[in-house]
Amino acid sequence: MSADPMHLDVAVLADYWLGALDANEEARVEEHVFACDDCAALLEEVRAMADGIRQVARSGALMTTVSQDFLDHAAAEGLRIRQYAPPAGGSVQCTVTAEDDFLVGRLEADLREAKRVDLSLCTPDGSEQFRLNDIPYSREDSAVLWQMSITFAKAAPTSSMVARLVDVDESGAESTMGEYTFHHTRTLPGPGAW
Amino acid sequence: MNLNDAELAQRIGGGDREAEAELCRRMGPRIRLYGLKHLRDAAAADDLMQNVLITMLETLRAGKLREVEKVASFVLGTCRMTVMDQRRGVQRRDRLMEQWGLEALTPATAAGPQLDGEALGRCMQQLAERERAVMTMSFYNEQSGAEIAGYMGISEANVRVIRHRAIHALRGCMGVAR
Repeated sequence: MSADPMHLDVAVLADYWLGALDANEEARVEEHVFACDDCAALLEEVRAMADGIRQVARSGALMTTVSQDFLDHAAAEGLRIRQYAPPAGGSVQCTVTAEDDFLVGRLEADLREAKRVDLSLCTPDGSEQFRLNDIPYSREDSAVLWQMSITFAKAAPTSSMVARLVDVDESGAESTMGEYTFHHTRTLPGPGAW
Repeated sequence: MNLNDAELAQRIGGGDREAEAELCRRMGPRIRLYGLKHLRDAAAADDLMQNVLITMLETLRAGKLREVEKVASFVLGTCRMTVMDQRRGVQRRDRLMEQWGLEALTPATAAGPQLDGEALGRCMQQLAERERAVMTMSFYNEQSGAEIAGYMGISEANVRVIRHRAIHALRGCMGVAR
Protein backbone atom coordinates (compact mmCIF):
# COMPACT_ATOMS: atom_id res chain seq x y z
CA MET A 1 0.00 0.00 0.00
CA SER A 2 1.04 3.62 -0.38
CA ALA A 3 1.55 6.23 2.31
CA ASP A 4 -2.13 6.96 1.72
CA PRO A 5 -3.81 3.84 3.15
CA MET A 6 -6.78 4.37 0.84
CA HIS A 7 -4.68 3.84 -2.29
CA LEU A 8 -2.10 1.51 -3.76
CA ASP A 9 1.52 2.58 -4.15
CA VAL A 10 2.66 3.10 -7.72
CA ALA A 11 5.53 0.67 -7.18
CA VAL A 12 3.09 -2.07 -6.12
CA LEU A 13 1.07 -1.38 -9.26
CA ALA A 14 4.27 -1.69 -11.29
CA ASP A 15 4.98 -5.04 -9.61
CA TYR A 16 1.45 -6.08 -10.51
CA TRP A 17 1.97 -5.01 -14.13
CA LEU A 18 5.19 -7.01 -14.29
CA GLY A 19 3.58 -10.11 -12.81
CA ALA A 20 5.90 -9.87 -9.82
CA LEU A 21 3.20 -10.34 -7.15
CA ASP A 22 2.03 -13.64 -5.75
CA ALA A 23 -1.52 -14.77 -6.60
CA ASN A 24 -3.07 -13.42 -3.40
CA GLU A 25 -1.43 -10.01 -3.72
CA GLU A 26 -2.39 -9.85 -7.38
CA ALA A 27 -6.03 -10.64 -6.59
CA ARG A 28 -6.05 -7.99 -3.85
CA VAL A 29 -4.63 -5.36 -6.23
CA GLU A 30 -7.20 -6.23 -8.90
CA GLU A 31 -10.12 -6.00 -6.47
CA HIS A 32 -8.90 -2.57 -5.39
CA VAL A 33 -8.22 -1.23 -8.90
CA PHE A 34 -11.66 -2.20 -10.15
CA ALA A 35 -13.29 -0.28 -7.33
CA CYS A 36 -11.02 2.77 -7.16
CA ASP A 37 -10.94 5.53 -9.79
CA ASP A 38 -7.63 6.97 -8.56
CA CYS A 39 -5.78 3.64 -8.57
CA ALA A 40 -7.23 2.70 -11.96
CA ALA A 41 -5.86 6.00 -13.29
CA LEU A 42 -2.51 5.32 -11.62
CA LEU A 43 -2.35 1.87 -13.18
CA GLU A 44 -2.94 3.53 -16.56
CA GLU A 45 0.10 5.72 -15.78
CA VAL A 46 2.12 2.61 -14.96
CA ARG A 47 1.06 1.11 -18.28
CA ALA A 48 2.17 4.28 -20.06
CA MET A 49 5.49 4.25 -18.19
CA ALA A 50 6.05 0.59 -19.04
CA ASP A 51 5.42 1.32 -22.73
CA GLY A 52 7.68 4.38 -22.54
CA ILE A 53 10.55 2.50 -20.90
CA ARG A 54 10.28 -0.19 -23.57
CA GLN A 55 10.44 2.45 -26.30
CA VAL A 56 13.41 4.21 -24.70
CA ALA A 57 15.26 0.92 -24.23
CA ARG A 58 14.73 -0.16 -27.83
CA SER A 59 15.64 3.29 -29.19
CA GLY A 60 19.33 2.65 -28.47
CA ALA A 61 19.61 6.24 -27.26
CA LEU A 62 20.79 5.48 -23.73
CA MET A 63 24.43 5.52 -22.68
CA THR A 64 24.50 2.48 -20.44
CA THR A 65 25.69 -1.05 -19.91
CA VAL A 66 23.50 -3.92 -21.05
CA SER A 67 23.32 -7.67 -20.68
CA GLN A 68 23.65 -10.31 -23.37
CA ASP A 69 19.97 -11.11 -22.77
CA PHE A 70 19.14 -7.50 -23.62
CA LEU A 71 21.00 -7.75 -26.92
CA ASP A 72 19.44 -11.13 -27.70
CA HIS A 73 15.99 -9.64 -27.06
CA ALA A 74 16.73 -6.66 -29.32
CA ALA A 75 18.05 -8.94 -32.06
CA ALA A 76 14.93 -11.12 -31.78
CA GLU A 77 12.88 -7.96 -32.36
CA GLY A 78 14.75 -7.43 -35.60
CA LEU A 79 16.83 -4.51 -34.33
CA ARG A 80 20.27 -4.12 -35.84
CA ILE A 81 23.19 -4.23 -33.43
CA ARG A 82 26.67 -3.06 -34.42
CA GLN A 83 29.21 -4.44 -32.01
CA TYR A 84 32.96 -3.89 -31.65
CA ALA A 85 35.30 -5.84 -29.40
CA PRO A 86 38.73 -4.28 -29.05
CA PRO A 87 41.17 -6.31 -26.93
CA ALA A 88 42.16 -4.95 -23.53
CA GLY A 89 44.96 -2.49 -24.13
CA GLY A 90 44.11 -2.40 -27.84
CA SER A 91 42.01 -0.41 -30.25
CA VAL A 92 39.46 -0.85 -33.01
CA GLN A 93 38.34 1.19 -36.01
CA CYS A 94 34.60 1.71 -35.85
CA THR A 95 31.69 3.55 -37.39
CA VAL A 96 27.90 3.58 -37.36
CA THR A 97 25.43 3.66 -40.24
CA ALA A 98 21.92 5.03 -40.56
CA GLU A 99 20.50 1.49 -40.43
CA ASP A 100 22.05 0.63 -37.05
CA ASP A 101 19.80 0.57 -33.98
CA PHE A 102 22.38 -0.21 -31.30
CA LEU A 103 26.10 0.45 -30.98
CA VAL A 104 27.83 -1.76 -28.45
CA GLY A 105 31.40 -2.11 -27.26
CA ARG A 106 32.33 -5.51 -25.89
CA LEU A 107 34.98 -4.94 -23.20
CA GLU A 108 36.64 -8.22 -22.30
CA ALA A 109 37.80 -8.38 -18.68
CA ASP A 110 38.18 -10.77 -15.76
CA LEU A 111 35.29 -9.72 -13.52
CA ARG A 112 35.41 -12.61 -11.05
CA GLU A 113 37.28 -10.77 -8.28
CA ALA A 114 36.02 -7.26 -8.96
CA LYS A 115 34.44 -5.31 -6.09
CA ARG A 116 32.73 -2.34 -7.68
CA VAL A 117 33.26 -1.67 -11.37
CA ASP A 118 33.00 1.77 -12.96
CA LEU A 119 33.16 2.49 -16.66
CA SER A 120 35.13 5.67 -17.34
CA LEU A 121 34.98 7.27 -20.78
CA CYS A 122 37.98 9.40 -21.61
CA THR A 123 39.62 11.38 -24.38
CA PRO A 124 42.80 9.85 -25.84
CA ASP A 125 44.88 12.06 -23.50
CA GLY A 126 43.16 10.48 -20.49
CA SER A 127 40.76 13.26 -19.56
CA GLU A 128 37.57 11.69 -18.18
CA GLN A 129 34.40 12.89 -19.93
CA PHE A 130 31.79 10.63 -18.41
CA ARG A 131 31.61 7.88 -15.82
CA LEU A 132 29.08 5.13 -15.28
CA ASN A 133 29.36 4.26 -11.58
CA ASP A 134 28.88 0.80 -10.11
CA ILE A 135 27.80 -0.88 -13.30
CA PRO A 136 25.86 -4.14 -13.06
CA TYR A 137 27.55 -7.23 -14.43
CA SER A 138 27.51 -10.97 -13.99
CA ARG A 139 30.58 -12.48 -12.38
CA GLU A 140 30.20 -15.37 -14.80
CA ASP A 141 30.54 -13.03 -17.78
CA SER A 142 33.92 -12.30 -19.28
CA ALA A 143 32.97 -8.91 -20.66
CA VAL A 144 31.11 -5.70 -20.01
CA LEU A 145 28.72 -4.72 -22.79
CA TRP A 146 28.76 -0.95 -23.13
CA GLN A 147 25.97 0.62 -25.15
CA MET A 148 26.96 3.96 -26.64
CA SER A 149 24.01 6.21 -27.42
CA ILE A 150 23.22 5.58 -31.08
CA THR A 151 21.84 9.11 -31.30
CA PHE A 152 25.15 10.51 -30.09
CA ALA A 153 27.20 8.18 -32.28
CA LYS A 154 25.31 9.05 -35.46
CA ALA A 155 25.97 12.74 -34.85
CA ALA A 156 29.58 12.33 -33.70
CA PRO A 157 32.45 13.57 -35.87
CA THR A 158 35.47 11.41 -36.60
CA SER A 159 37.19 11.08 -33.21
CA SER A 160 38.71 8.67 -30.69
CA MET A 161 37.50 7.65 -27.26
CA VAL A 162 38.96 5.46 -24.56
CA ALA A 163 36.72 3.25 -22.43
CA ARG A 164 38.35 2.24 -19.16
CA LEU A 165 37.04 -0.37 -16.74
CA VAL A 166 37.95 0.57 -13.18
CA ASP A 167 37.79 -1.68 -10.11
CA VAL A 168 36.97 0.38 -7.01
CA ASP A 169 37.65 -1.22 -3.62
CA GLU A 170 36.00 -0.46 -0.25
CA SER A 171 38.48 2.34 0.48
CA GLY A 172 37.75 4.01 -2.85
CA ALA A 173 41.12 3.05 -4.33
CA GLU A 174 40.93 2.46 -8.06
CA SER A 175 42.75 0.05 -10.32
CA THR A 176 42.37 -0.17 -14.06
CA MET A 177 41.04 -3.51 -15.29
CA GLY A 178 41.36 -2.67 -18.97
CA GLU A 179 41.50 0.14 -21.49
CA TYR A 180 39.85 -0.05 -24.90
CA THR A 181 40.28 2.57 -27.61
CA PHE A 182 37.61 3.25 -30.22
CA HIS A 183 38.61 5.17 -33.34
CA HIS A 184 35.30 6.36 -34.73
CA THR A 185 35.09 7.35 -38.41
CA ARG A 186 32.07 9.34 -39.36
CA THR A 187 30.22 7.90 -42.36
CA LEU A 188 26.99 9.89 -42.04
CA PRO A 189 26.70 13.49 -43.29
CA GLY A 190 27.25 16.18 -40.70
CA PRO A 191 29.69 18.72 -39.30
CA GLY A 192 33.36 17.78 -39.09
CA ALA A 193 33.59 18.63 -35.40
CA TRP A 194 31.35 19.33 -32.43
CA MET B 1 -22.67 12.12 -13.57
CA ASN B 2 -21.78 12.24 -9.87
CA LEU B 3 -23.00 8.82 -8.81
CA ASN B 4 -20.99 5.93 -7.42
CA ASP B 5 -20.72 2.62 -9.25
CA ALA B 6 -23.49 0.98 -7.22
CA GLU B 7 -25.90 3.83 -7.88
CA LEU B 8 -25.17 3.62 -11.59
CA ALA B 9 -25.75 -0.13 -11.53
CA GLN B 10 -29.07 0.42 -9.76
CA ARG B 11 -30.19 2.94 -12.40
CA ILE B 12 -29.22 0.64 -15.25
CA GLY B 13 -31.70 -1.88 -13.89
CA GLY B 14 -34.33 0.83 -14.31
CA GLY B 15 -33.42 1.41 -17.96
CA ASP B 16 -31.24 4.53 -17.55
CA ARG B 17 -29.08 4.68 -20.72
CA GLU B 18 -26.97 7.59 -19.43
CA ALA B 19 -26.02 5.48 -16.44
CA GLU B 20 -25.03 2.68 -18.81
CA ALA B 21 -22.75 5.00 -20.76
CA GLU B 22 -21.16 6.36 -17.58
CA LEU B 23 -20.49 2.93 -16.09
CA CYS B 24 -19.00 1.77 -19.40
CA ARG B 25 -16.78 4.88 -19.43
CA ARG B 26 -15.53 4.04 -15.94
CA MET B 27 -15.13 0.31 -16.30
CA GLY B 28 -13.92 0.15 -19.91
CA PRO B 29 -10.35 1.36 -19.27
CA ARG B 30 -10.00 -0.87 -16.20
CA ILE B 31 -11.11 -3.91 -18.16
CA ARG B 32 -8.75 -3.04 -21.00
CA LEU B 33 -5.82 -2.71 -18.58
CA TYR B 34 -6.73 -6.09 -17.11
CA GLY B 35 -6.69 -7.49 -20.63
CA LEU B 36 -3.34 -5.91 -21.48
CA LYS B 37 -1.87 -7.28 -18.27
CA HIS B 38 -3.13 -10.83 -18.72
CA LEU B 39 -3.31 -11.19 -22.50
CA ARG B 40 -0.39 -8.91 -23.53
CA ASP B 41 -2.18 -8.07 -26.76
CA ALA B 42 -4.00 -4.83 -27.53
CA ALA B 43 -6.57 -6.38 -29.87
CA ALA B 44 -7.36 -9.14 -27.39
CA ALA B 45 -7.67 -6.52 -24.63
CA ASP B 46 -10.15 -4.60 -26.77
CA ASP B 47 -12.14 -7.80 -27.34
CA LEU B 48 -12.12 -8.47 -23.61
CA MET B 49 -13.38 -4.97 -22.87
CA GLN B 50 -16.28 -5.34 -25.27
CA ASN B 51 -17.21 -8.81 -24.08
CA VAL B 52 -17.16 -7.87 -20.40
CA LEU B 53 -19.11 -4.65 -20.91
CA ILE B 54 -21.77 -6.58 -22.81
CA THR B 55 -22.03 -9.14 -20.02
CA MET B 56 -22.15 -6.37 -17.41
CA LEU B 57 -24.97 -4.52 -19.16
CA GLU B 58 -26.84 -7.71 -19.96
CA THR B 59 -26.77 -8.64 -16.29
CA LEU B 60 -27.64 -5.20 -14.94
CA ARG B 61 -30.44 -4.55 -17.43
CA ALA B 62 -32.01 -7.85 -16.43
CA GLY B 63 -31.63 -7.03 -12.73
CA LYS B 64 -29.65 -10.22 -12.20
CA LEU B 65 -26.99 -8.65 -9.95
CA ARG B 66 -28.57 -8.87 -6.50
CA GLU B 67 -25.96 -6.76 -4.65
CA VAL B 68 -25.29 -3.76 -6.87
CA GLU B 69 -22.62 -2.46 -4.47
CA LYS B 70 -20.52 -5.41 -5.66
CA VAL B 71 -20.61 -4.36 -9.31
CA ALA B 72 -16.81 -3.82 -9.43
CA SER B 73 -16.19 -7.33 -8.08
CA PHE B 74 -18.70 -8.69 -10.55
CA VAL B 75 -16.90 -6.98 -13.44
CA LEU B 76 -13.52 -8.26 -12.24
CA GLY B 77 -14.90 -11.78 -11.90
CA THR B 78 -16.32 -11.52 -15.40
CA CYS B 79 -12.89 -10.38 -16.64
CA ARG B 80 -11.28 -13.45 -15.11
CA MET B 81 -13.81 -15.83 -16.62
CA THR B 82 -13.75 -14.09 -19.99
CA VAL B 83 -9.96 -14.22 -20.19
CA MET B 84 -10.20 -17.95 -19.61
CA ASP B 85 -12.82 -18.13 -22.35
CA GLN B 86 -10.70 -16.04 -24.73
CA ARG B 87 -7.76 -18.27 -24.07
CA ARG B 88 -9.92 -21.19 -25.14
CA GLY B 89 -10.83 -19.30 -28.26
CA VAL B 90 -14.50 -18.67 -27.38
CA GLN B 91 -15.82 -15.59 -29.18
CA ARG B 92 -19.32 -14.33 -28.45
CA ARG B 93 -18.79 -10.67 -29.16
CA ASP B 94 -20.21 -10.22 -32.63
CA ARG B 95 -23.40 -12.16 -31.91
CA LEU B 96 -24.06 -10.31 -28.66
CA MET B 97 -23.16 -6.93 -30.08
CA GLU B 98 -25.79 -7.48 -32.72
CA GLN B 99 -28.34 -8.94 -30.30
CA TRP B 100 -28.04 -6.12 -27.77
CA GLY B 101 -27.22 -3.24 -30.11
CA LEU B 102 -24.45 -2.02 -27.85
CA GLU B 103 -21.90 -0.58 -30.28
CA ALA B 104 -22.65 2.99 -29.22
CA LEU B 105 -22.11 2.16 -25.54
CA THR B 106 -18.71 0.62 -26.00
CA PRO B 107 -15.99 3.19 -25.33
CA ALA B 108 -13.83 3.92 -28.33
CA THR B 109 -10.56 2.06 -28.18
CA ALA B 110 -7.94 4.41 -26.87
CA ALA B 111 -4.23 3.82 -26.47
CA GLY B 112 -4.40 5.71 -23.18
CA PRO B 113 -2.06 8.47 -22.06
CA GLN B 114 1.47 8.42 -23.41
CA LEU B 115 4.53 9.85 -21.74
CA ASP B 116 6.91 12.33 -23.35
CA GLY B 117 9.47 9.87 -24.72
CA GLU B 118 12.36 12.35 -24.86
CA ALA B 119 11.78 13.46 -21.28
CA LEU B 120 11.53 9.84 -20.15
CA GLY B 121 14.80 9.09 -21.94
CA ARG B 122 16.53 11.93 -20.11
CA CYS B 123 15.11 10.71 -16.81
CA MET B 124 16.20 7.13 -17.56
CA GLN B 125 19.70 8.41 -18.25
CA GLN B 126 19.74 10.14 -14.85
CA LEU B 127 19.01 6.91 -12.95
CA ALA B 128 21.84 5.09 -11.22
CA GLU B 129 23.32 2.35 -13.40
CA ARG B 130 21.77 -0.47 -11.40
CA GLU B 131 18.37 1.23 -11.35
CA ARG B 132 18.45 1.70 -15.14
CA ALA B 133 19.52 -1.90 -15.64
CA VAL B 134 16.72 -3.23 -13.44
CA MET B 135 14.15 -1.10 -15.26
CA THR B 136 15.22 -2.18 -18.73
CA MET B 137 15.59 -5.82 -17.73
CA SER B 138 12.12 -5.74 -16.11
CA PHE B 139 10.15 -3.77 -18.67
CA TYR B 140 12.02 -4.45 -21.92
CA ASN B 141 13.58 -7.89 -21.55
CA GLU B 142 10.66 -8.91 -19.32
CA GLN B 143 13.03 -10.83 -17.07
CA SER B 144 11.77 -11.99 -13.69
CA GLY B 145 13.10 -10.71 -10.38
CA ALA B 146 14.90 -14.01 -9.90
CA GLU B 147 16.59 -13.76 -13.29
CA ILE B 148 17.72 -10.18 -12.67
CA ALA B 149 18.92 -11.08 -9.19
CA GLY B 150 20.94 -13.96 -10.62
CA TYR B 151 22.56 -11.72 -13.21
CA MET B 152 23.42 -8.95 -10.79
CA GLY B 153 24.47 -11.18 -7.90
CA ILE B 154 21.97 -9.65 -5.47
CA SER B 155 18.81 -10.87 -3.77
CA GLU B 156 15.38 -10.81 -5.36
CA ALA B 157 14.21 -8.52 -2.55
CA ASN B 158 17.02 -6.13 -3.42
CA VAL B 159 15.93 -6.13 -7.07
CA ARG B 160 12.44 -5.15 -5.92
CA VAL B 161 13.81 -2.34 -3.74
CA ILE B 162 15.90 -1.00 -6.63
CA ARG B 163 12.90 -1.18 -8.99
CA HIS B 164 10.63 0.64 -6.53
CA ARG B 165 13.25 3.34 -5.98
CA ALA B 166 13.69 3.76 -9.74
CA ILE B 167 9.94 4.03 -10.37
CA HIS B 168 9.57 6.76 -7.79
CA ALA B 169 12.67 8.53 -9.16
CA LEU B 170 11.32 8.40 -12.71
CA ARG B 171 7.92 9.74 -11.68
CA GLY B 172 9.57 12.50 -9.69
CA CYS B 173 11.79 13.38 -12.64
CA MET B 174 8.78 13.36 -14.99
CA GLY B 175 6.79 15.54 -12.60
CA VAL B 176 3.91 13.07 -12.27
CA ALA B 177 4.45 11.84 -8.69
CA ARG B 178 1.38 12.22 -6.50
